Formats: sequence, C-alpha cells, structure tokens
Amino acid sequence: MPDDLVAVFTDPDLAAAALGRLSAMDVSGARVISPAPYPAVHLTGRPGPWRYLGAIALVGGLTGLGAATALQVITSRSLNIIVGGKPIVSWPAFGVVMFELTLLFAGAFNFTALVVLCALARRKVPAAARRLVDTERIVVVIPAAQARGADAGRIRGALGDAVEVRS
Amino acid sequence: MSDSKITQIERDTLATMASTSWLYWAGLAASVGLVALGGWAWSLALRRGLGVLGLNEPVMWGALITTFVFFIGVSHSGTLVSAILYFTRSPLRAAIGRSAEAMTVITILTAGLYPIIHIGRSWLFFFVLAYPNQRQLWPNFRSPLTWDVFAISSYVTVSGLFLYMGMLPDLALLSRHVTGWRRPLYRMLSLGFSGTDAEWTLFEKAYPIFAAVVIPLAVSVHSVVSWDFAMSLMPGWHSSIFAPYFVAGAIFSGIAMAILLLAGLRRGYKLERHIKPAHFDLLAKLLLAMSVVMTFVYLTEFFMAFFRGNAAEVETFRWRATGAYAWVFWLVMVCNGVAPLACFWARVRRSLPALIVISVLVTIGMWLERFLFIVTTLAHSYDPANWGHYTPTWPELLICLGGFGWFGMLFLIFVKVFPSMSVAETMQHEHALSLPAAEETEVSHAG
Repeated sequence: MPDDLVAVFTDPDLAAAALGRLSAMDVSGARVISPAPYPAVHLTGRPGPWRYLGAIALVGGLTGLGAATALQVITSRSLNIIVGGKPIVSWPAFGVVMFELTLLFAGAFNFTALVVLCALARRKVPAAARRLVDTERIVVVIPAAQARGADAGRIRGALGDAVEVRS
Repeated sequence: MSDSKITQIERDTLATMASTSWLYWAGLAASVGLVALGGWAWSLALRRGLGVLGLNEPVMWGALITTFVFFIGVSHSGTLVSAILYFTRSPLRAAIGRSAEAMTVITILTAGLYPIIHIGRSWLFFFVLAYPNQRQLWPNFRSPLTWDVFAISSYVTVSGLFLYMGMLPDLALLSRHVTGWRRPLYRMLSLGFSGTDAEWTLFEKAYPIFAAVVIPLAVSVHSVVSWDFAMSLMPGWHSSIFAPYFVAGAIFSGIAMAILLLAGLRRGYKLERHIKPAHFDLLAKLLLAMSVVMTFVYLTEFFMAFFRGNAAEVETFRWRATGAYAWVFWLVMVCNGVAPLACFWARVRRSLPALIVISVLVTIGMWLERFLFIVTTLAHSYDPANWGHYTPTWPELLICLGGFGWFGMLFLIFVKVFPSMSVAETMQHEHALSLPAAEETEVSHAG
C-alpha cells in the first residue's frame, strides 16, 4: 500500500502513547508490528479472524474423535476376535484412543489454523513495513487514506516520539 | 523500557546460541561418549540376540522398560508445568518454559527408543503401530500396549507443536540477526510470522487453546503408561491408585530434571538475571510437595495390600521391603521420601549446590523406584515355583546410560540451535516489570 505513513519507535511505551494520541484524534485503522506482545499491539482493536480459532479446534477434536471411533470399530469388526471375554466393540477400552486422538487433532487443527490465519492476516500490512520490525523497533502504520487527509499534520505530530517517520 | 535494556535481554536470551564455553563442549563430549557406549551395547544385543541382556523367565521386563517408564515420567512434567505456568501468568514461565518444553520433547524421543530396543528385532518396530488388517497384524485396541502407542505418539506430536508454536516469534526475530545457514533455516521455520497486531492477537488466542489441550494429554499419557501395568492382574500392579501415582511420580522426576537443566544453563551461560534464586525456590517447594505426595502413595500401597490381605499381594510387598531388592526399596525411600524434606528449609531451597544434590538423588530414586515395582512384581508373583531373580547385565546398563547421553546430547544441540529462553516473552515480562504500576506492586509485595 503506497503512501502509508510508517513510524518506527524504539520504546514500546512511546508507541503505545502515540497510538493513544491517534485514537483521541479518531484516527482509525492504525496497525502495529511488534517484536513482542507489548500493550501497543492491543490498542488497535484486536484485528484478525481470531474468533474462528476455538471453533476450528473443536472441529479438529470432533474429527479426531470420529477417526478414532471409526478406526477401532471397523478394525475390530473386520478381525472379529474376542479378547478376554470383552465384546468386539468394547467402548470402555476404545475410550482411551478416542480421548488421545480427540486432543491430538484439536491441537493439530489449532496450530494449522494459527499458521494459515496469520498468513492471511499479515497480508493486510505492507511487507516493507513488516521488514522494519526488530527487537528494538516497533512499527506503527497509518493507512494512506488517513495519512493524506486534512489531519495529516496533526497525525505526524502525534507520531513525534518516533525515531523515524516515512511514507 | 530503554534500548540498552532490550539489547541486554536479547543478548541474555540468545546467550546459549551465541557463545560456546568449555563446559558446553565437555558436556557434549560426555553425552556423545555415553551414546557411543550405549550404541555399542545395543549393537551387541542386535548381533548376539537378547540373550546378552539379563532378561529371563519370570522377569521379561527389566532395565530397558524401567528406563522407558522413567523417561516418559520426566517428559510428563515439562510441557505440563509450562502450560500451567502460562495459565497462572507466572513470571517463572519466561525463564524456564522453553527449556521445560524442550526437555519434554527430547525425553519422549529418548523414551521411545527403549521399547524399540527391547523388542529385539528393532528393525520391525513398526509392527507396534496399529493399522487395520495389513499383513494380518492384529491391532488389539483393548490392550493398554496399543493405547500406549497412541498416547505417546499423540503426546510427542502435541508437545512438539506446543514447543514450536512458542518459538515462532523468536524464530522470526532470529532470522534478522543471524547469518549463514541459520538465516534461511529460521526464516523457513518462522512460517512468515512477522509480529503484526493481528498475528499477535491470533497467537494470544491460539496459545491458551493449545495449552488447554496439552494439560489433559500430559496427564493421560502417564496414566496410560501406568495402565500397562495396572490393567494386568499381577500383585503390586493391579491397583486403582496407579494412574495418579504415576502422574505424581512423573511430575516429581520432571521437576528434579528441570532443576538440573536450569542450574546448568544458569551456570554455563551466566543467566543469573533471568533464572533467579526465587525460581529455584519455587521449584524446590514443588519438589517438596511432590515428595510428600509420593511418600503418601508408597505408604498407601503397603496399607492397601496388608489391609486387604490378599496372600500374593502381601507377599509381594513384604518381599519388596525385606527381600533381595530391599536395598533398592530403602534407597528409594531415602532418595524420594527423605532427601527432599531438606527443602523445608529456605536456605536449602536457595542453595543451588544443595538443590543439585537433592535433584540428582531424586532422579536416581525415581529410576530405581520404576525398577523396583517392575522387577519385584515379575520376580515374585503368584506361583512360588516361578519366582526368580533379575540382575541387569552390563550391556543393559550401558544401553540405559546411553539414553541419558542421548538426552543430554539432544538438549545441548537444542540450546545451541534454538533460544533456550523465550525472547518475546522475556521482553514482554521485563516491560511489564518496568511499568510504574508494576514497580509499585513489587515494592508493596516486598514490603
């Protein structure tokens, strides 16, 4: 996104203060890129499709439960061997594998969802700005539409603590 | 938080990767030496057959299965403790979480070697995997041994992902700071994580979900290992207390191992700023609490056996405390029940040498405890005509020592290739402490 205003801060508190000032000026759509989950990353309205994560993990768990059930029931029925007087389809004994695979699939789905959703979410932030972040550099990005408006001067003023502001 | 402080955090947390002391090389050489010895002893078992091991009727599970159960136990607590520390928002997590999680993954990988070695024809180990009807193999899902395969493989996968997920932000940062072969490796492993606010939000939502998955899985895996024994009708094993007993023992041995690893990291890489006496104090209190739980379980086992009066069970427990392995039994009591009681004293909890000695004793005690209950039950069960005695042979002991070397070697390689402390979490934690409100809270707590 050309013409975005990019400000680089070396102190997370100064970045948070700048975001506070921008918020007071009703500047919306600012994004933060940070090396650690400092408070500043929580001042942009928690963007991203994170609401899906719980549901995806649940779907994963249910998939694991179904897979474990199918594996055990189909296999035991096809072999049809009675062991220790237990029924062919022996639910208490099958419960252990069902439990393990439920959690395994829930975890795997959760991880995969994180990776995929992160890849989708980060595309909304310019790659050039993402490359600026480092252990000592927190980056604030103001969308071009906001940065070019009537408040452009005030926005630049709000970013006064930044060590570098570029567009 | 000042630039210099951030740089200091970065330098400290990446210290294990940046510098290599003589202590590191000595540790690695010792570990590789043990692996070589263990590998040679294993090759002996492969070339000459399992006859070189001391296993014989009636004791067909010995030192190898003992080591398997021991390492599974150690693996149990790393990820569990890390997940619990996450939910309790403990500052301890930033310092020890990564090492504990790595310990878990490496110990499972170590533990998994022993059933493979124990089966003799190790190249056919994949026969233990349960898949339907192929080559007329018979996956018996009613058997705890089949449950074991699922539990352990699920645990190693989930623990590995948990460790990896926590490392994603660090790998992204590292890829900007390193050169050579590490740069493309870290860039690839970071999966594109770049630290945008949306990614952090996703990360902070996904991580607790994963931690919530890890905790029941960790408890279940050692319960399932305990059921390898408890689901049989053998005296000394067939007990409803076995699952919680194993879980408690696993946490106990895992904490001892964590203390040893953290003490080594602290000393070797001068991480005194991050791994503090207060952290060891907390771990020592946990060790003490678990020791008391273990003593209670030991006494409960005896009480139940003698109260019920089942002749075989009474005889097994009587023999365990007074028979041929009585010295092992009493050594276990001293190592696991008596030595950790020293942690009642604050001076001991804050003395690193004292804690190291206690942790070594607990590690030895826990290995012997697993040996004791496996061997005494098999050697002295229902039929007196079938009673026997088992002594591990030296190839067996070398294979077991090789496992400790394998564990040490993988851990040392891990801390050299990946950060042993979370950079992002440490920066977040230090930043929280630098806020005025946090300083006031700290002062008021101290007061």
